[in-house]
Amino acid sequence: MADLQNLRIKLTEQERDILHGKQGPTMQKVMKTVALYGEALAAERLVDIGGAGHFAIPWCTPGIAPPLEMLDELVAAGLKTKHPFTLDPRAPLDFENLSLRPEQEQTLEQMYRDQARYDERMLQLGLRDRDAYTCSPCLPEVGNVPKRGTVLAWSESSCVIFANSVLGARSNRNGAIMDLLSNIVGKTPLAGLLTDEGRGATWLVEVRTAELPHPQLLGAAIGTKVVEDVPLIVGLDRFLDCRLSEETLDYLREMGAACATYGAVGLYHVENITPEAVDWGTDLLVPDHTTYVIDDQELQALRASYPVMWADGEARPERCFIGCPHLSLRQLHWWTNRIHNSLQARSQSRLAVETIICAAPRVLQKFSADAKAHERLKGAGVRLSGTCVETLFEHVLGPEDAILTNSDKLRAYSTARFFPDEELIEILVSGVIRGES
Amino acid sequence: MSRSFKGKPILPGNLEGEALVTHVGFNTYASFYTSIHAQVEAAQCADSGNQELHGKNLTDKIICLPQTIGSTSAGAVWQRVAQMGVAPKAMLFSQQIDSLAAAGLVVADVWVGKRIYAVDQLGDEFLESVKDGDRIVIREDGTVTIR
Repeated sequence: MADLQNLRIKLTEQERDILHGKQGPTMQKVMKTVALYGEALAAERLVDIGGAGHFAIPWCTPGIAPPLEMLDELVAAGLKTKHPFTLDPRAPLDFENLSLRPEQEQTLEQMYRDQARYDERMLQLGLRDRDAYTCSPCLPEVGNVPKRGTVLAWSESSCVIFANSVLGARSNRNGAIMDLLSNIVGKTPLAGLLTDEGRGATWLVEVRTAELPHPQLLGAAIGTKVVEDVPLIVGLDRFLDCRLSEETLDYLREMGAACATYGAVGLYHVENITPEAVDWGTDLLVPDHTTYVIDDQELQALRASYPVMWADGEARPERCFIGCPHLSLRQLHWWTNRIHNSLQARSQSRLAVETIICAAPRVLQKFSADAKAHERLKGAGVRLSGTCVETLFEHVLGPEDAILTNSDKLRAYSTARFFPDEELIEILVSGVIRGES
Repeated sequence: MSRSFKGKPILPGNLEGEALVTHVGFNTYASFYTSIHAQVEAAQCADSGNQELHGKNLTDKIICLPQTIGSTSAGAVWQRVAQMGVAPKAMLFSQQIDSLAAAGLVVADVWVGKRIYAVDQLGDEFLESVKDGDRIVIREDGTVTIR
């Protein structure tokens, strides 16, 4: 491959013209990259991208994002994406919300010293606006909600899986940088999850738990087992509202994020709930599919397998991160009410563990407009942030920090200890982990 | 006795080198995580979840693997390690190349001008046959010989 004369992928005349440099040398490189990507994936052809992008490249960190020189070249050539795009959460520079030590802040300032220039380049290349940073772009307040069947070239794995599974859009799991380049040329290879064949279910996952399982624990179990395959999940419609209520959407978003973290799942179907499963039911299953049964014992065993990564396993919890992936407005209100009620029940005014909740800037703005709820949460000592706390573990936090989370996704990428919501609230209020006081 | 396998050339070329083998998915971001954030002359595999590769030198090796797994940041990781000069020489996939590896390796090729040779669909037997330290010869047509 890599020999442009012998490409097997069928390109249109317009695509070939770009490949031959008719729109300038930089666009030629962009098209070459996308065409070779399609060739590698054995795509029959490229197809037009039909909606806004969402990319996993919000930070200027080398090795995580395109280098500034590359962005400069794209901007200098006057290129930008065909549709405005959203990005993953902002870099962790909102120090007033993160409660870091001065030396940790200095490390981050150094690490992200080019962030302002990077952000400007992103705006020039098509970033929708300065608030378009979140890992939950499909929430109504954020508004990057592709319609069913829309072809996309997204990258952030937890967003790809939501758009594919719950909204019925079509995107492959594109790598960082390829996301941007594909959306500049407005084309992506017709392969994998863009095809009907690629969306068939090769796994039947039977959920046989007594109650609705923790969404991220269930997602972790599924991701670990099916890895990159497509599962049809049955048994969840006993517990979830099949009309895709806000609660169901939140559940599926959390479950999908964990599926993508513990495996490489880009699409799941849920019987009687997600659009393709509603239309085709078990016809989605390929003939030689594999069956995986998940019961309470399976999930308990999975949770029990998580090691305590704190340097001092019996340390008193010092901080808690909630909102990986970013919370919805409904979830923010749920946490506000639960924290308030738990504190009242113990005649306490503030949480015993410093707690930071993360959500999209637009969601936080709307939440803040509800003065009573906002004051309640602030009064309990909770801080709100629009960043991605996982990045803190990459640079300044580690086993020495006794950190809690309700996110099985964050747990996988960090040394934080995972507790389901209700258990976590008890710890946040009391300051102790039950059985370890 | 040498054995040859025929795969599909993704980023073709003729070269020889030393095999480094993983039978589980190669987590690109986790493997290069420490290397991309520091000035290093060689990349040691930092993925503690991969017992076969953890701690081993990846630079200039021919990585033999089923597919890559992990974060979509992988696209940028390949560009970075290519730019730093600490990339493997080649990636030999027993299965079809996954979208993250395809994206990253192509981006490194086009935008850095550094080719990390890649051949996919070499089959399970290839991965069962090849061992760490084996001398590997790759030909432009996708033929891979274990010497």
